[in-house]
Amino acid sequence: MELLKISKKNFLSFVDKKMSEKKSRIVGVIQKGSHFVFDDLQSSKDLRLDYDVTILPPKKYFQPQKEVMLKFAPKNVESYVAVNSYDPITIFGIHYYDLAAIYLMDRAFSDGDGDEHYIKKRENSLLIGSYPQKHFKQRFSRSVVKDQYYKVADLMLVDMGDEYVIEVVSEKGKNYLKGSQLKKNTYSLKQVEEAKTHIKDDQKLPVTVDIASEFLTRNYYHSVWKYFGDKCFSCGSCVFVCPTCYCFDVCEEIDLTLAAGQRIKVWDGCMLENFAVVADGHNFRRDRADRFKHRTFRKVKYLPDRYRYFGCVGCGRCADACTADIAGPNKVFKYILEKQ
Amino acid sequence: MAETYPHKEVIEKTSIYLPEVATLREKRPMTPFDTYFSFELRDHSLGHRPGQFAEISIPGIGEAPISVSSPPATDNRFEMVIRKVGTVTSAIHSLEVGEKVGVRGPYGTSFPMEALKGSSLLFICGGIGLVPARSAIKYALEHRDDYKNISILFGCKDPAQRLFVDELEQWKQRDDIVFYETVDTTDLSTYLEMSHMDLSYRGPVDEWKSKKWKDNVGVITTLFPKLDYVDPRETYAIVVGPPVMYKFAIMNLHDMELSDDHIILSLERRMKCGVGKCGHCQIEDIYVCQDGPVFYYNDISYIKGVI
Ligand SMILES: Cc1cc2nc3c(=O)[nH]c(=O)nc-3n(C[C@H](O)[C@H](O)[C@H](O)COP(=O)(O)OP(=O)(O)OC[C@H]3O[C@@H](n4cnc5c(N)ncnc54)[C@H](O)[C@@H]3O)c2cc1C
Ligand code: SF4
Ligand code: SF4
Ligand code: FES
Repeated sequence: MELLKISKKNFLSFVDKKMSEKKSRIVGVIQKGSHFVFDDLQSSKDLRLDYDVTILPPKKYFQPQKEVMLKFAPKNVESYVAVNSYDPITIFGIHYYDLAAIYLMDRAFSDGDGDEHYIKKRENSLLIGSYPQKHFKQRFSRSVVKDQYYKVADLMLVDMGDEYVIEVVSEKGKNYLKGSQLKKNTYSLKQVEEAKTHIKDDQKLPVTVDIASEFLTRNYYHSVWKYFGDKCFSCGSCVFVCPTCYCFDVCEEIDLTLAAGQRIKVWDGCMLENFAVVADGHNFRRDRADRFKHRTFRKVKYLPDRYRYFGCVGCGRCADACTADIAGPNKVFKYILEKQ
Repeated sequence: MAETYPHKEVIEKTSIYLPEVATLREKRPMTPFDTYFSFELRDHSLGHRPGQFAEISIPGIGEAPISVSSPPATDNRFEMVIRKVGTVTSAIHSLEVGEKVGVRGPYGTSFPMEALKGSSLLFICGGIGLVPARSAIKYALEHRDDYKNISILFGCKDPAQRLFVDELEQWKQRDDIVFYETVDTTDLSTYLEMSHMDLSYRGPVDEWKSKKWKDNVGVITTLFPKLDYVDPRETYAIVVGPPVMYKFAIMNLHDMELSDDHIILSLERRMKCGVGKCGHCQIEDIYVCQDGPVFYYNDISYIKGVI
């Protein structure tokens, strides 16, 4: 992989130049109150690459919370058209674990019959990643993410103090850099590696990812499910903030004028009570413990079985969002180990 | 939120969510809540295999997964039987012949009719489970010589809820297949209390008030003793019915020494997208819309609560 470097000052003018070119929508991490979010950049000055974690992961750009798939005139079957709404988009500062999550989403939406609504949005995106520069008390990414994030990143920024080292991951990323004030990298690989990993995680998965699935399967009937299930409020916060949760509901909407309608996808989640209810009212996952178990197994076993990579990227958002303090998958492992 | 870039909306020609147009050609009530529909696609056949389903859309109302009840066809028609239970199914019920619906599909796995060639088939169908099973039954009857014994067991709640009654009569008459049926009860008084239900079609209720049911009464497993010896090595059971039926049917099949890889079932789950994306139909690591709805029981028997 080619390594280049750029001074922070020149990097910011590079971002400003990209914004003024208006060739794509430019999104980055900005501060909102005491939190950080991905949002459209107004100026490179707003870009905060020193953030701890964002409230929502960047999945919202590829699978918006509410997304129109079809438009139609009510009652007129002939009028169905499939629509997709997107701009070319460049996103600055996606932490490596969120990129690992995008890799999983890419797999899920292109597997079998591909979902054009997602795929087109991704094809029109350029992802510029980074490595955390600040602690976040719930994060355990180092213990669950390998290097799959390189499969989706176009460029990675490594903070060296006054400069960034840029890892040029894709051809698309390389082209994007054309015309910027780049220099050859002068740091040793060891220095770069140190800069990428010097912020240690505060948490970790207490078993290695390679045995996690087997470990959990052995504990399919453990009391942990009921214990955590009893504490769960079924609020769904943990799935909405999760970068690897992409389940959705399909709903119908009619304009107030009644002249036009649309079929939309909306975020949905298996922790919500009615997710698996069928028409006669039968709920295939009625107990909170069953829903809690399903969500955890999906991360630890079902996704890895399908896509080889661990289905939780350790961002810690769920743990932060959960009022019951049970949502972090690492906590399930911890509890089981303590009870053994 | 300020947007710095103009929004672009494009038409997707190949969306997996885009329905095609089909026209309702025939409609006929079968029971107080189930209606038969025959739809026709414009210029091609649905191309389904027995046991598959399709998503039927009414613009402005929504979409519902429905099994195809007819066997594979060369023309553009396909048949469905739909129970009125909620918004979408009610909207489909109120369609007139000549009106149109949206169709996506066919989706999912099918009964392995090719692989079953040379074997005996034992169909066990409960209530509306006859609807998907019928596509396989009719297929097997069209290719009668490809299979050894064909036995069909059908059970429903009461005589007024029997589906495809003309065909049931024909199956009963045939001497190259075995057909037994049963009802749980002959008591029709519950229909009188169903004032909340729109019993627009009272035909079978009125009919069975004056007629006496002479056949078997009892749950579907009471039909098993009527069967002659079933050779477990050459027989495959195809089981489709309401969730409660599976456990008892499978217990009986085990008593007859059928192994789990000789038991084939079709499962129902909540479905939305039908194409393995939305997550609603997941049972553990399985997506019922893609890995199912038809399964060999030995592939899923490890899952707690699967039936
Ligand atoms: C593979 C498969 C095959 C089916 N075959 C048939 C059939 O041949 N005939 C028949 O009458 N019914 C069939 N069903 C059930 C049918 O899909 C539901 O009855 C129907 O979706 C209910 O929708 P509704 O809007 O009328 O009901 P409502 O109660 O208003 O439904 C509310 C919402 O729940 C969803 N929903 C409720 N139950 C189900 C369900 N079981 N599956 C998926 N979504 C559900 C609907 O999409 C709807 O958005 C089948 C279901 C599946 C999964
Ligand atoms: S955030 Fe916590 S309480 Fe809410 S659904 Fe998730 S686990 Fe349950
Ligand atoms: S399960 Fe929790 S920690 Fe894991 S990726 Fe999702 S939000 Fe992050
Ligand atoms: S119905 Fe959406 S994943 Fe199966």
